[in-house]
Amino acid sequence: MAPSTDIAVVGWATTPLVRRTDLSETQLLLRAITSALEPLGLTRSDVDFTCLGSCDYITGQAFSFVGNLDAIGAWPPKRDSHVEMDGAWALYEAWLRLQEGDIEIAVVTGSGRSSTGNPALIYPMEMDPYYLAPIGADPVTFAALQARAVIAAGIADERTMAEVAVRSRGEGDVDELLRGEYVREPLRRHDLPPITDGAAAMVLATGDRARQLVERPAYITGFDHRTECHNPAFRRLDDSPSTRIAAEAAGLGDAPVEVAELQAAFTHEELLLRSVLGLGDDVAVNPSGGALKANPIMASGLCRIGHAADHVFAGGTRALAHSTSGPCLQQNLICILEGRS
Amino acid sequence: MVRFTESTITFPYTRSLGPVVGAFMTALTEKRILGIRNGEQVICPPMEWDPSTGAELPRDLVEVGPAGTVDSWTWVPEPTEQHPLDRPFAFAFVRLDGASTPLLHAVDASSPDAMSDGMRVAPRWKGQRIGHLTDIACFVPGEEPQVDGDDLGPAAEPVQMMDYLARITYRNPVPPSSDLVVDASRQHRLVGFRCPGCGKTYVGGRGVCPIDSVEFGEEHLVELPHTGTITNHVVITPVQYPGQTETEPFARVFVLLDGSDAVLGYQPVIELPVEDVAVGVRVSAVWASPGEESDEGGGMGGAFGSLIGWMPNGEPPVDDPDLVNRIF
Repeated sequence: MAPSTDIAVVGWATTPLVRRTDLSETQLLLRAITSALEPLGLTRSDVDFTCLGSCDYITGQAFSFVGNLDAIGAWPPKRDSHVEMDGAWALYEAWLRLQEGDIEIAVVTGSGRSSTGNPALIYPMEMDPYYLAPIGADPVTFAALQARAVIAAGIADERTMAEVAVRSRGEGDVDELLRGEYVREPLRRHDLPPITDGAAAMVLATGDRARQLVERPAYITGFDHRTECHNPAFRRLDDSPSTRIAAEAAGLGDAPVEVAELQAAFTHEELLLRSVLGLGDDVAVNPSGGALKANPIMASGLCRIGHAADHVFAGGTRALAHSTSGPCLQQNLICILEGRS
Repeated sequence: MVRFTESTITFPYTRSLGPVVGAFMTALTEKRILGIRNGEQVICPPMEWDPSTGAELPRDLVEVGPAGTVDSWTWVPEPTEQHPLDRPFAFAFVRLDGASTPLLHAVDASSPDAMSDGMRVAPRWKGQRIGHLTDIACFVPGEEPQVDGDDLGPAAEPVQMMDYLARITYRNPVPPSSDLVVDASRQHRLVGFRCPGCGKTYVGGRGVCPIDSVEFGEEHLVELPHTGTITNHVVITPVQYPGQTETEPFARVFVLLDGSDAVLGYQPVIELPVEDVAVGVRVSAVWASPGEESDEGGGMGGAFGSLIGWMPNGEPPVDDPDLVNRIF
C-alpha cells in the first residue's frame, strides 16, 4: 500500500557495533539519537514522535524501555511508542503515524546488549512454553533444521553458504571454512551471526520537510510485514511465504531494485530469501556485510533499512530492506526505498 | 574501568494448559501420545487451532506413535543446562506413526553417525511422569518404548497446569555515575548531578538528564545538604513474596533536600513510627556504621551506600500544601 503522504528516511546512525560494550542501553540510545539528529541540524525538540524497539528479556529488566526514554528528552511530554521488536517494526509504526499528516519528524530506534546474557539460553525461553521452551529449543538448532531443508530443496549447499559468509565478512577462505567442525550440522561457526552490542537511530521526515533536510531523501514507497505460525514443526522450512507476500504487498515487482539488504543472521537464510524474493545476480545483496558481519540484537533489521537508505542517499534509485523475527524466519518485513530525480 | 554486576532473575510461571494441551500432557503420564485431527491431517503436538488458518479445531484427539520416524535432525555436540540430555544428542523432528507433523525432541544416539533421516525411534519415558513434555526423557533408536527406572504410573487427576521456571543470568555495566554517588555516600556525603541544560539537580545516581539527554560526569557533581522535608510517603503492608524480608507495615518517604530542588525517592525512615509519618516532617540523614553499608546504587530509589535512611531532627514541621507534589 502506498502511503498517503511522502515519508522518507533522511538520516540514521549507529553506535559502534561491538562484541561487548561498557555502555548501558540508555547511553547507547542517547548517543545514537544525537548522532542521527546532529548532521541534519535537528535537536530533540524538533522530534514530533518517537518509537523505540527493544526487548526486556534481553535487557533483564521489566519495562526497560521506560529507562530508555531518558535518551529521547521526553519533556515537555512527547508522543512516544515502543515495540518489543526490532527497530524495523518501530519504523513501521512511525511510518503509519506520520501518514496522519499532522506531524513532520519522527525518530525510531533499535537497541540491545546481546552480551548482557547468554543468547543460547535466553532465546529458548521466548519459544512456545508448552512444546519448545521445556526442551531448550535453541535458535541455532532451529537454524540448522531450516538449513537442512533449504539444502534438500537445492537452494543452498554448504559451499554456497560458506561463500555467503566470506562475501559478507570480507574475509576467510571457503575451502578452509568447510574444514571446520559443525556447531549444529550442517552449520559451522562461519554460518552463525556474531554476538553484537549496539543501537541504531533513524530520522523520518514528511513532504517538503524531508526535501529541506536532505538533498535526496530515501522515500518509503512500500512497507509490509507478515507472520507465519510460531512452531517451525508446522511450517515448510524451505520456503518463506510471509516474505513473499510482504514483498508483493510492498511492490517489489513494480520496478527493479539495485540493492537488497536482508536480515539473514545465518548464511542459508540469505540464500533462501534471495530465492523467495527472486533476486537475480544483478542485485547487490548485503553490501554492508549484513547481519553476518554485525548483528546488534533488536537493531539489526533497522540497520538493513539504514544501509538501503544509504544506497539512495548516494544516488541509487531503488533498494529493498528486509527484517525478520522469530525462529526460522517466522515473521518478515519488507521496506522499499526510492530516490527521486 | 566500568564495573559489571551479575544478577540472576527467575520467573516461576504456572501456566494453564487448556483442553487440548492438557489432554496431551495427561496422556503423557499414561505413556500415550496424542495428536489432533485437522481434516485429513493429524497434528502432533496437538494445537487448539489450525496453525495455518487459526480456525478452532474440533476436539478430536487421536493416539499416535509411540514410535515414529525422524524427518530431520541436527547434532548437539555441547548441550546446555536447558536441554533434555546432558551428553551430546540429536534434536530431531520426529513424525510419530499416524501423525502428519513432526514433534521436536531429543534423540539419544551415540554419535551423529547413528542418526539418519527416516530412522525409526521410540520414546524413553521417565518413571515419574507429571504431565510435561519432558515426561518423554528423549527418543531412542528402534521400535520399542522404554521406561527410565521404576514406572510410578499415570497422574491421579487430569493435568491442567504446568510449571515453567525461567532463569536468566545477566551481566550489566554499572554506570560510573552510580558508583560516584555510592562512593560519596560511603564518605557520608550526599551528591547529585546538576544538568548544564535545565539546571535541575538529579540524585540517586541517575546518570542522564531525561529532559536534555545529557550524560553526567564528575564535572556535574554538586554537594547536597543532609537535611530535608518529607514531601510524600507510602506505608506498605508487606506481602510475603520470595525475597521480601519485611514482616510489619513500613514507610517509604520522599525527601526534598534543603536549599535544593532535589528529591530523594522511596527512602526508609528511622525512629519515626508509621503513624507519625506525615508531609512536612523535618528529617536528617542517618549513616550506617562501618560494615552495614549497602551496595545498592539507589537508581530506583531507596537508600544507598552508607545512607540508611532519615530520622526526625526535632525541627517544627513545614506547612506547605505544594510539598505533596514533589516526588521528583
